[in-house]
Amino acid sequence: MSHPRVVSPVRPVRRVRPVRRLAVATAAVLAGALALTGCGSPDSGDSPDGAGLSVGSAYMPQPVSDSMAAGFLVITNKGAAGDVLTRVTSDVAGDVTVHRTVGQTMEEAERLDIPAHGELVLQSGGDHLMFERLKRKPREGEKVSVRLHFAKTSPITVEMPVKSATYNPKTGH
Amino acid sequence: MRKKLFAASALLVAATLTLSACGSGDDSGQSVADVSVEAGSDKAATILDQPFEKPDLVLTDTQGKPYDLRAETKGRPTLVYFGYTNCPDVCPLTMSNIAVAKKKLSPADQDKLRIVFVTTDPKRDTPAALGKWLKGIDPQVVGLTGDFATIQAGARTLGISIEPTSKDKNGKTISMHGTQVIAFSPKTDGGYVLYGEDATVDDYIKDLPKLIKGQNP
Repeated sequence: MSHPRVVSPVRPVRRVRPVRRLAVATAAVLAGALALTGCGSPDSGDSPDGAGLSVGSAYMPQPVSDSMAAGFLVITNKGAAGDVLTRVTSDVAGDVTVHRTVGQTMEEAERLDIPAHGELVLQSGGDHLMFERLKRKPREGEKVSVRLHFAKTSPITVEMPVKSATYNPKTGH
Repeated sequence: MRKKLFAASALLVAATLTLSACGSGDDSGQSVADVSVEAGSDKAATILDQPFEKPDLVLTDTQGKPYDLRAETKGRPTLVYFGYTNCPDVCPLTMSNIAVAKKKLSPADQDKLRIVFVTTDPKRDTPAALGKWLKGIDPQVVGLTGDFATIQAGARTLGISIEPTSKDKNGKTISMHGTQVIAFSPKTDGGYVLYGEDATVDDYIKDLPKLIKGQNP
């Protein structure tokens, strides 16, 4: 639709390597990232045909109301090919959209690029996930399941911890 | 000459470090420079040489009653923020940071403080919608709505530029929030301190006791 604005330029891909071995590495990286962010379950965040994507630093600040919430995470692409985040779904929300913060306004982004050897950063004050039509109000200490869909890579499920409303990843509280 | 001066300052630095009980005395010139830089850049607050006049705003509160900002907050330490409730990220974070920091104050100081949230999206933020949202943050926060042009003019006097809520090509609603929180002094009623979006809950916890007294944080 409207805003296919590119977060950072995607390098033209000349050569796509077979990724069998990368997948193992990705799983290990994922497990590490998930352990760091306290997202326990071993099978979450796995990408079987992994194009080198891993997800870390995921959290949702406990929302003010039961109508809307934000979510943040970083998708790292260790692969030599770029990918695109095309769609996000969640068990707690009827609708999840990716929003870009442009100055003081937000606008819905159709697809966000994850450059080769780069990352897509969704962080407070910048681009973020917006959860609408919440089925319940997520509370601090819970986890919400978020499924990330990509143009090339198989979907990755992230168990996103719900933090306090004032949580700051820089200070860790 | 320069060398000697440097030696002298190094000595001074060593003395300072000892006094402030900062252990390692090595590399003193370097560390003093770092310390002073940090002290400056660490602060979330921007203190204004020329304070803003409190805007002459009469809007509608969450009870549906008229609220005269100048009259209601005269002589009170007051924090003003412009945002909207359909904002998932910055607006609730900013308001929650302030609300959590407020709860660390003594009950007397909590009563003195006025926190005012002015909507930038009055069409969707009715008094009831504002009231419901603020209840999830702190029921004592004053929520104001009203005519957009009035709100926009009030914001402009504080250097905050907002545009009316609009629809993009896909019919998605777009609203705008202010970029800063303004603290008004109980002594002068002037808006003398600004906080940007990156101010954390710790910054407000540290600064609110001073703002309550009209002091510089």
